[in-house]
Amino acid sequence: MTPDGGLSIVGTVLAVAVGCAAASLWLLLPRGESGLRERAARRFGMLLGAVALGLFVATGHRLGGVGEEATFLVVSLVAVIGAAATIVTRSPVYSAIWFALALAGVAGVLLVLGAQFLGVATIVVYAGAILVMFLFVLMLAQPTGMASYDRVSNEPLLSAVAGAVLLGLLTLFIGRLSAGPPSCCAVPTKAAALAGANRPTNESDEADAATEPAAADTPNTPALADTPPAASSSSPTTRRPSPPDMLARDHVARLGGELFGRHLLAVEAAGVLLLVALIGSIAIVSRTPPEERLEARPRRASA
Amino acid sequence: MTPAPLVLDGLVVGAMLFALGLVGILARRNLIVMFLSAELMLQGVSVSLVSWSRHHGDWGGQMLVIFVLTVAACEAAVALVFVLQAFARTGRLDSAAWQSLRESNLPRVVDHELPASDAEALQFPRLTPAGVQPAVDEDEALEREHV
Repeated sequence: MTPDGGLSIVGTVLAVAVGCAAASLWLLLPRGESGLRERAARRFGMLLGAVALGLFVATGHRLGGVGEEATFLVVSLVAVIGAAATIVTRSPVYSAIWFALALAGVAGVLLVLGAQFLGVATIVVYAGAILVMFLFVLMLAQPTGMASYDRVSNEPLLSAVAGAVLLGLLTLFIGRLSAGPPSCCAVPTKAAALAGANRPTNESDEADAATEPAAADTPNTPALADTPPAASSSSPTTRRPSPPDMLARDHVARLGGELFGRHLLAVEAAGVLLLVALIGSIAIVSRTPPEERLEARPRRASA
Repeated sequence: MTPAPLVLDGLVVGAMLFALGLVGILARRNLIVMFLSAELMLQGVSVSLVSWSRHHGDWGGQMLVIFVLTVAACEAAVALVFVLQAFARTGRLDSAAWQSLRESNLPRVVDHELPASDAEALQFPRLTPAGVQPAVDEDEALEREHV
């Protein structure tokens, strides 16, 4: 397969996938319909969404083996399906629950990508704190039954098309990153050759990353560079002595060392930001207009 | 198993989450769902940052994600306070209830025909009542000696 042929096939599949995704979102978004028509539209939209996801998987996973890839595939499907269900579900409570599922998927994606602490922190901070706050606000503010504004959307067609265009552009860009000068199918051998060429420069780091041999190849991915010579010449200089090694025992300790070492000022600024947000939200919530004070007081007390 | 595909797939997943969040924030009218969509966009950016961190082999992306989490917590606190205030004033979680804030040359959002009732969506399963309802002494129920 020539590079041009492979790219055009991938591009066609990508275009079909993006079109299917847009049509599926348009069918699934609330458009003020009801009854049989809505149910038929939702079934067809789910079918189209499944087709779009399958096409995305077909374009995105043409490299690599099973194992880590399969785990990544499963958790990313959970994340994307949860996200899509979050924005198309009519009831906001179910929307929040789907968002929790999407968060679980995102945490899995972060774990597979080698950010253990961030995966756990996503679950703790988002699902444990922010989502519960959303549910509390829903409990305080949701009128009984399904509100009319949950059953209509602002311009569902234009929104779906805008999202699909953005997604198509982004994935096209990412695909161009992956394509580079060598053809897409020759990347593994090229990577192996480059890794072999670079191995003498990385010998000191290999003892560091010996627990996972794949981590030693991390900066040597030629697929993300425009020209392989530039990649091989620039990667040793940009290489840090402590790559985020998934299986290293002191992963979190190294993360903390980096956070409280190089980024100490940013940590202080984040602390100030949290304090300001806390004081600001208390100040805003305790300031109610005088004519509505009677109505708003029990809500304020319970908030 | 080269890490490059995982990095690229992480970028694709981040792009998908961001695009879905964008569609949600453009299309939905419930304020809470709009904020959930904004959080989805933040999640997409986080996944992209961690992918780049894995690609470059340093901690920069993960550091940024930590601060994204912090800012998201602050943003959610302040935004939910605003949502509560908006609900206290209008009684609705509708973003179109605040369309008097729009620019003066923009048209007004009008709801055309809504379905009268969504009865089938509100059907929840119920247990059938069985047995005899016990007589409850309300005074006794209010003053319990032991809980």
